[in-house]
Amino acid sequence: MKNQWAKKILAFTLSAVLMLTALTACSGQTPENSPSSEDQQGNQNTSQNNAPKETITLNFWHHYSAQSPENETLTKVLIPKFEQENPGYKINATSYEWAKLHDKILVSANANTLPDVARLDIAWVPEFQKLNILVPLDKEMSDFSPYSSSLLANAMSTAEIGGNYYALALNTNTKILFYNKAALEQAGVSIPKTMDEFAAAAKKLSGKNSNGQQVWGCTEPALAGWNVLPYIWSMGGEITNNDYTKASGYLNGEKTVKAVQMLADLYKNKALIGFNSGDIPMTDGFGTGRYAMLLEGPWKIAELKGAYPDFSYGTADVPAGEGGSHSVLGGEDIGMFSSANKEGAWKFMKFMTSEFAQEEMAKCGLIPVNKEALESATVKDASYAPFLDAIKTAKARPPVAKWTEIDNQLTTAMTSIIKEGADAQKTLDQLASQVDELLK
Amino acid sequence: MHMKKIRAAKLWIYLVLSLCGLISVLPMIYMISTSLKPNGALYEYPPHFFPNKNNLTIENYIYIFQQQKFYLNFINSLVVSLATIALAAVISTALAFCIARFRFPGRKMLFGLVIATMIIPGTALIVPQFELASFLHVTNKLWGLIPFYVAWVIPFSTFMIKGFIENIPRDFDEAVYIDGGNVFTVFRSIAVPLSGPAIASVSIFNFLTAWEEYPWALTVINDNVKRTLPIAISGFFGEHQFTQWGYVFAMSVASLIPVLIIFICFQKYFVRGLQTGGIKG
Amino acid sequence: MEAKSFKNRLQIFLLLLPGIFMFAVFTIYPIGKLLFMSFFQSGYGVSLKDAFAGFQNYKMVLSDQTFRVSFDNTLLYTLVTVPAQMAIGLLVAVLINELPCFQVGFRVIYYLPVITSWVIVSLVFKYIFNTEGMLNYFLSQVIHVTGGNIAWLDSRWGGLTVAMILGTWKGVGWNMVVFLAALQNVPKALYESAAIDGCGPVHKFFYITLPSIKSTTLFALVMLTIGGFNVFTSIKMITDGKPMHQTETVLTWMYYKAFNEGQFGYAAALSFIVAVVLVFLAVLQFKAMKNRDEGE
Repeated sequence: MKNQWAKKILAFTLSAVLMLTALTACSGQTPENSPSSEDQQGNQNTSQNNAPKETITLNFWHHYSAQSPENETLTKVLIPKFEQENPGYKINATSYEWAKLHDKILVSANANTLPDVARLDIAWVPEFQKLNILVPLDKEMSDFSPYSSSLLANAMSTAEIGGNYYALALNTNTKILFYNKAALEQAGVSIPKTMDEFAAAAKKLSGKNSNGQQVWGCTEPALAGWNVLPYIWSMGGEITNNDYTKASGYLNGEKTVKAVQMLADLYKNKALIGFNSGDIPMTDGFGTGRYAMLLEGPWKIAELKGAYPDFSYGTADVPAGEGGSHSVLGGEDIGMFSSANKEGAWKFMKFMTSEFAQEEMAKCGLIPVNKEALESATVKDASYAPFLDAIKTAKARPPVAKWTEIDNQLTTAMTSIIKEGADAQKTLDQLASQVDELLK
Repeated sequence: MHMKKIRAAKLWIYLVLSLCGLISVLPMIYMISTSLKPNGALYEYPPHFFPNKNNLTIENYIYIFQQQKFYLNFINSLVVSLATIALAAVISTALAFCIARFRFPGRKMLFGLVIATMIIPGTALIVPQFELASFLHVTNKLWGLIPFYVAWVIPFSTFMIKGFIENIPRDFDEAVYIDGGNVFTVFRSIAVPLSGPAIASVSIFNFLTAWEEYPWALTVINDNVKRTLPIAISGFFGEHQFTQWGYVFAMSVASLIPVLIIFICFQKYFVRGLQTGGIKG
Repeated sequence: MEAKSFKNRLQIFLLLLPGIFMFAVFTIYPIGKLLFMSFFQSGYGVSLKDAFAGFQNYKMVLSDQTFRVSFDNTLLYTLVTVPAQMAIGLLVAVLINELPCFQVGFRVIYYLPVITSWVIVSLVFKYIFNTEGMLNYFLSQVIHVTGGNIAWLDSRWGGLTVAMILGTWKGVGWNMVVFLAALQNVPKALYESAAIDGCGPVHKFFYITLPSIKSTTLFALVMLTIGGFNVFTSIKMITDGKPMHQTETVLTWMYYKAFNEGQFGYAAALSFIVAVVLVFLAVLQFKAMKNRDEGE
């Protein structure tokens, strides 16, 4: 009995070891084998059309979410097309969640495992530039100027630091107001045009529904700059001076405090929620009628269509306050890292910003920056037309290298004011002096 | 009378165990039932523990099984876990055997090291280990996982197997030596076979460790196709706070099945391997 | 013994080699590197050079409010979950051990949470304890214990409670198996003679069972204490430290500092402090184990 068992164990261990050796052999061979086999192909190609000798794999990191139509377009339309047009190049695309992509890039910079190309939130570009990991395109690419002029100048400005360009603009976006049509009608609330109306509407839309469940007037999924800045700016507040060198007097200014106070007041009155870990996620809460209003970007249209196809909602500008109606400018750039295969990376970057790629992505709700793509019928008829107007008045988050750090501290301060009921003026005074340090 | 009392007591035991057992499996059942609901029904009111008849769907599973990535992630997890248990079994049995049977210089130190490294949580070493992985160029490779997992599980495995080997009578060894055997022969014909139950139970622990490991794989692996299951599952938490719980749970159920099979097959050796007093009785 | 011949010595060395190699490269070197890093100010990026920082990192860790919060959280988690899992696990093991049949069935049921990965069970718990989740519905609408929905995940204590319930729930099975193994080693004769003396089941448990499984209890205690300090995935998945880093544990905070903020020096110092605390705790427990063993 015991012996039999022993044999079994031995056999199991042995087979596992064998399997392992087999694996070692496999994984050891793949990288050596595959290039050489493709090498031969490459050689044939060389004789025909001067393509590079070996297949070069370009690693591309992005945060198109894994189950999104954008990712579908990227992997099924754009990459095959690029590989077909540029024989000898293979794109290895990897998707990350937004915040994870940022961290992964930082970690990989430390480990020297950066990809060739990445899709970067415009707010990250200064930070990565400061780490010296982004390639200054205008210095290293001879055809940079003629090419970049095909992209919108104000979008390109997000990639400009100290007179050099470290990325190409890829797409822009901003947030506008989404509202639940039925809920507004039922409550007899008209679409809020001003921040005062918005706050009043949010309170009026809150309460219990027919099931006895709590309903909230508005929602924010987090309390970071991306979330609170539209309220602050629209109500006339600022977070830094125009040169981004000082926060005191701005971040703790009267109007900023008032805007944050408004959000805290809404939370206290059970009219605002969504940033707590246990809350209903935004899309689900909106689609099931638990959240009546929210500020969101163009991707929400496709998401709602997929998850809640029968739900009826409307969109409007961010409500205006003393400062006007200012949404927050979002968007992505595409950049290459210093360790990249520059020739290939540049080809891919130009491809991703080309009219074709931009029009394809426009079909999934990404607003193009390519001038020709912007003129196309797809874009003109797209459901995101209201966003195009909002972009004109949207403001950018401070393009400073320490933005991520500032944003973290901002989030903590906002949470303590809005959620924990801390004194807004005092907390923001303290935050402003911390941010002053970071801006130095 | 007495028999009746005993029977009543047994009934109570069954009752208590069943109740506690229910709590133990309830979350699992809820996970399975949620994976059978359409994504849109997850915030329905009133919530249903079991899906309605007209709500019952396998669309989440269809989606998961249509994803080529799922199979790759699955295979990655399997490869990493099997490689980890195989390597760990061989290395720790050898270590345990030497420490239990021979006096060699540094023996005490080595065993002290085994104990000491058992104490330091693997995650605490994640920063220097990450530097090491980048130095060895094994980041973003399955090879970046296996040796680290092996190193994490060796101390516990060695500790357990050593306890078991110490209980094997030395007479067995002596008999082999008298027959002209050497250290290798004793290792092969006595230590490995007789500590089988310990190796098996330790291997189940190790399999679980590697199968479910999250922080290290999250840090080291980049490519979608190289991710292991836990990373793939957590990857469903996409952008814009939009979570498709149905997919998450369908994938979770699918990833649970192999572990369940392994455990049910091996569970009878499981308790035996932990009885370090095995042979002496 | 035979082992003294050159051939056998060589063979012993060869058997030890892979293990020593793995230790040296993947454990000892990282520990050394960790200590080294904790004295340097290292940050992200190619442009930033590491600079010697002395005890600066340690000072920063020890004066950091969030580190204290995370340390307290970890300690609380350990102090609650370790005894809870051990007590429930032991109870279940004793009861299962009494059963003439269905032992295996119960074993599988109780072991199910152990073999399910942390990522999965954390997600399930997050889903159940969601403010709009099943548990709140059950509590307020079905059995009417609570007036409204409890925001379990939104506060420090709520989030920790969920993590601790999860930790206990998941750990019971492991304890059950370990104790079951120990219980089956307790000589049956002891119980029989106690029965003759007319001892009741409670008496038997305290005077026979508990003393007989002392070393297993201590073993479980050490392992679980280490496990308690190792809590990471559940917190990361359920609250991710929110709100305002109030639910961080030492390792999630270390991870955040290292991989979100790039403060590797700080993270290294923090890890080292945790390691020292754990070694200290474990030495205490091992000492206790040894003393008791000798006492027997």
